Amino acid sequence: MSKLTLDSFKNKSKKAKKNNTNFIKVGLSTCGIAAGADTVFNVLKEELKKKEINVPVLRCGCAGMCYAEPLVEVKIEGMPWIIYGKVNEDVALKIIRKHVARKQVINDYIFSIKDE
Amino acid sequence: MGKAYINKIEVDFNDGDTILETASSVQIKIPTLCKHPDLSPTGGCGICVVKIEGTNKMLRACCTKIEDGMKIITHDPEIVEIRRTVIELILSDHPNDCLICGRNNNCELQTIVADFGIREESFEKIVKEIPQDKSTGTIKLEPSKCIKCGRCIEVCQDIQNVWALSFLERGINTRMAPAGDIQLKDSPCVRCGQCSAHCPTGAIFEHDHTREVWAELQNPDMHCIVQIAPSVRVAVGEGFGYAPGENLTNKLYAALRRLGFNTVFDTNFSADVTIMEEASEFVERFVHKKGVLPLITTCCPAWVDFMEKFHTDIIPHFSSAKSPQEIMGTLCKTYYAEKKGIDPSKIRVISIMPCTAKKYEISRSNEMFASGYQSTDFVLTTRELIRMIKQAGIDFNFIEGEEPDNLMGDYSGAGTIFGVTGGVMEAALRTAHHFITGNKLEKVEFENVRGLDGVKETSVEISGNILKIVVAHGLGNVEYVLNKVKEAKDKGKEIPYHFIEVMACSGGCIGGGGQPYGVTDEIRKARAKGLYSDDKNSEVRCSHENPFIKQLYKEFLGEPLSEKAHHLLHTKYVPRPEYKK
Amino acid sequence: MQNQKKIILVKDTNMDKETSSMIDKFLFGLRERGLSEDVKVIRAADLNIYNKGVVVKIWPENITYANVKKDDIDLIIHRTVENGKNIDELLVSETNKQLRIVLRNCGIIDPEKIDDYLDNEGYCALAKVLSEYSPDEVIEQMKISGLRGRGGGGFPTWMKWNFAKAQKEETKYIICNADEGDPGAYMDRSVLEGDPHSVIEGMIIAGYTVGAQKGYLYIRAEYPLAIKRITLAINQAREKGLLGDNILGTDFSFDLDVRLGAGAFVCGEETALIASIEGKRGCPSPRPPYPSVNGLWGKPTIINNVETLANIAPILHNGGDWFASIGTEKSKGTKVFALTGKVNNSSLIEVPMGTTLRDIVYNIGGGVLNNKKIKAVQTGGPSGGVIPENLLDTSIDYENLQRLGSIMGSGGMIVMDEDDCMVDIAKFYLQFCVDESCGKCAPCRIGGKQMLNILSNISEGKGDLEDISSLKRISQALQKASLCGLGQTAPNPVVSTLKHFEEEYIEHINEKICRAKKCSLLSIYEIIEEKCKRCSLCQRSCPVEAINGNREVGFTIDQEKCIKCGKCFEVCKFEAVSL
Repeated sequence: MSKLTLDSFKNKSKKAKKNNTNFIKVGLSTCGIAAGADTVFNVLKEELKKKEINVPVLRCGCAGMCYAEPLVEVKIEGMPWIIYGKVNEDVALKIIRKHVARKQVINDYIFSIKDE
Repeated sequence: MGKAYINKIEVDFNDGDTILETASSVQIKIPTLCKHPDLSPTGGCGICVVKIEGTNKMLRACCTKIEDGMKIITHDPEIVEIRRTVIELILSDHPNDCLICGRNNNCELQTIVADFGIREESFEKIVKEIPQDKSTGTIKLEPSKCIKCGRCIEVCQDIQNVWALSFLERGINTRMAPAGDIQLKDSPCVRCGQCSAHCPTGAIFEHDHTREVWAELQNPDMHCIVQIAPSVRVAVGEGFGYAPGENLTNKLYAALRRLGFNTVFDTNFSADVTIMEEASEFVERFVHKKGVLPLITTCCPAWVDFMEKFHTDIIPHFSSAKSPQEIMGTLCKTYYAEKKGIDPSKIRVISIMPCTAKKYEISRSNEMFASGYQSTDFVLTTRELIRMIKQAGIDFNFIEGEEPDNLMGDYSGAGTIFGVTGGVMEAALRTAHHFITGNKLEKVEFENVRGLDGVKETSVEISGNILKIVVAHGLGNVEYVLNKVKEAKDKGKEIPYHFIEVMACSGGCIGGGGQPYGVTDEIRKARAKGLYSDDKNSEVRCSHENPFIKQLYKEFLGEPLSEKAHHLLHTKYVPRPEYKK
Repeated sequence: MQNQKKIILVKDTNMDKETSSMIDKFLFGLRERGLSEDVKVIRAADLNIYNKGVVVKIWPENITYANVKKDDIDLIIHRTVENGKNIDELLVSETNKQLRIVLRNCGIIDPEKIDDYLDNEGYCALAKVLSEYSPDEVIEQMKISGLRGRGGGGFPTWMKWNFAKAQKEETKYIICNADEGDPGAYMDRSVLEGDPHSVIEGMIIAGYTVGAQKGYLYIRAEYPLAIKRITLAINQAREKGLLGDNILGTDFSFDLDVRLGAGAFVCGEETALIASIEGKRGCPSPRPPYPSVNGLWGKPTIINNVETLANIAPILHNGGDWFASIGTEKSKGTKVFALTGKVNNSSLIEVPMGTTLRDIVYNIGGGVLNNKKIKAVQTGGPSGGVIPENLLDTSIDYENLQRLGSIMGSGGMIVMDEDDCMVDIAKFYLQFCVDESCGKCAPCRIGGKQMLNILSNISEGKGDLEDISSLKRISQALQKASLCGLGQTAPNPVVSTLKHFEEEYIEHINEKICRAKKCSLLSIYEIIEEKCKRCSLCQRSCPVEAINGNREVGFTIDQEKCIKCGKCFEVCKFEAVSL
């Protein structure tokens, strides 16, 4: 890793957002892990691999919605940007098979809709 | 320098002074149970709280530095009420054993409770039973009486650098105990007793031997000999309302006779013997190059214990001469017994010492039995003696002074200054000078080794030789001296000193762990002054000039360092690693 | 795609039956209009709008309607779904009550990747400070921002920094206090786990400002993931030249190390924390001297908590003015709270200072669990107090909370309902402080224990009215004469419950009643004759033979003998034992 200097920050664009790409994000802080997020994380990755779908599964910290852990944020083009909560293995599989693969929103596990 | 106001009184102060210190300069006493003048404040008791005018908060006077323009209120109804509540809280965690407590009438907690006129206990008693620790036979720990002021721990760790005591557990379960929760005898404790001297209550106390001594005194078959240590004479009076430093040697002799002792001797005499041996030893090493330098004094048993635990590598530097107490004990059961034709097994030697470690010294090694018997049988601290005198109904204040018994009662001025830091060095220099030069000293005082500075480094010239010496007191000050010696040794440099004196307690024996309570530097200075006046007023001021010393060597020992002297008056040292278990 | 599919999301927080019939009605209405293919209806578990009846969200327009009734459904389908027009009466202006500054990256970036942080303006503030600001200018910005310490005390951060900066010492230290210990509080853990670089950036800026070369993160050992992530972040920052010698190619050098706390709550107190880092018994020392003058190893030391440090970069990036525009007059910016207790959405929230407690409980927390009546909100952890229902409209800032007998504290916020007994709550917090007292000073060590004993007596029906004055008296001694903050604030839960709920104490004492039925020794167990089937199970289960009678005449409980163990209540299959 090369070292940064003051110059590295000079021409930095305001926000290098990568919003348009598809991703799945799992809250992997202590709260999430305690609720089973690491299993969900693995299930999501395996299922994507199995289905040969190329969507990155990302890690993030606690989004604050402790009551709904584990949380899985799903952003797929042409679909609402959804945070699913109380996700177990079963719901995780549904997220891949229905939401990602067939663009169907899953009943009963939506805990938040994110604005674009 | 600055100006502030305490209870509207204008006060000047020096930078760094605390509110508590400044208040006392204008005759305002702010009560505290944890702050001791010897020690840095811990803020433990919470009684010394004061207000700053215009604020709602209360500050601890013991540890808050006074600032320019500060307006302090030390006493108002709210402050007094807070103090009263805190005192009552402390009382709720303290047993009601006052009447049978060693500190009855001399307890800081009891005094403050009395001053506040606390007549009922508002809070439920929550005293925990914690077993006593009597394992050392010198110092008794009674943690249930502890108010967790932390003085003992501070003195043990910060002043003495021994680290035997610490706080264990937390919250309401906090207790003072040997670190690691082991018995005190297995801890690094060197029995200096500074913890007991600083304890505000009866939680740390000398192991009381007065009953045993009473029993010996009552036994008609026994010939009881008493010896009093140098520093006792200038401190014992504090138990009877005398000012610190008042020399009460002759009253003491009289009181001891009334207690029933058959013979009254003085440890000052055996201090002269110690000097004869130690000064000779020094001359051997310094002039005749037999043995290593620096030579280190060994009259202090807590220091000896400390060295045997922590600094075993310097054992070869230790003077092998026994302490005055042990020399007196040994001579009583040999020289005196022979001369008087008393069966030594029927002799009991009891010594009055400023010290708790002396209780340990009497059986610390085989050499303490060189007379064929345990040479010293019992050790009483100054505090125990005061109690015995009171128990015996002796009106100490009005008793006529008497003289000691012949043979081992008369002493030189050199013997008496043994009780103060620098005194052993000064006494030894007086005699060593004579041994080296054969001349009589014009001026016997060596002022550079006197005073309360923790480490006193100086040099003297004896017939063209520069003698580098150092005096340290308070075990925490030893580290500096020994590091210098060790560094020189390691680097093969010239030794920094030829002669080292160490006393474990601040001020030397006058500040010993067995002395009357409440010692401060002011009191130490007063007691030291008492001893130096005793020296000044003595006809004989050098040990080798004491006629009874001459007689002793002529009739019994021969020469200093003779085979007999070696057998009876010298000892050995062994490593005693700490934490035996 | 000519006609993008629409999705209607429906949620009613309270009545699930109602929701499903609403959904049926939507489906029916859509089918009637032949829209079933193009418009999907989905049951949402939560749409983050509370106490506004049924909430409906229409995607992709993101139109949100609240308080939707059955009769509105046809209109929604017709007007909004078919014709794209809003129904103004139903529209909610979806005001997000939260504002995330400290938690700006939490749940968004990957905390284990420094590039994620850098992509989100990470270390921009540091670069700006190093290239444009003198230490004095940093202090100036901090002063303008009005940021106050988030660890509890609320001391202005710039002043702390300024004291340390003014010290003419070569060596100075920055310490991040991450020894979070309030029961139920986990703000710091979330930040360290979710956005560790934000804390590191704050520490580096603090180091530059006061002239420190070294910093320590003091983290409790019970936070293994936080420790792992912060350690990883430190290493990454070092590799990037953001820590170590010549940071970002400048003359400024600063490095960080992690120190673990061994679980003593009092080590969150700054002087005890310093003692702990130095390897000593974790006990507080008298202040002054303050650490900013005489701290770690006797050197000037800044101790800031995690949340305070996470605020630094945004302040310097966006300017002190920006930060000062948020919050109230004296309390600027936002505050993170761990909202727990009897609340529907236990969550980690960040709101602007000045938000009301009621807003937090009802509009963010989704209301009280099981629709019970709220009794109070506890803030400030064991050093705080309870704020009763009638004061929930108070807006949160340091002064307001203090005036009500509580404190801001580090951010624990616990909702209490009618099932919570105030004597029991006070006892719980006091027990915590008694357990966590270091034992050094008498008022805290003994006073806390004595108060706890009194509270236990009251909760067991053994109290008398004098106990209340004793509690007040000891409380005062603790507040005034304890050595550190732990002891000084330990009585707060007692003082504040006494202030707002003294009648509950008196009930316990005089009538031996615990209205919340929490104090089990005050409960009276009785057998309800009508429900009793005379099976005798209770009689056989009673450990002290306090149940008289037989299967012929029925059973009664001898209140004299009853030890309130609750066994009869537990075993009865017919709910015939009342409490």
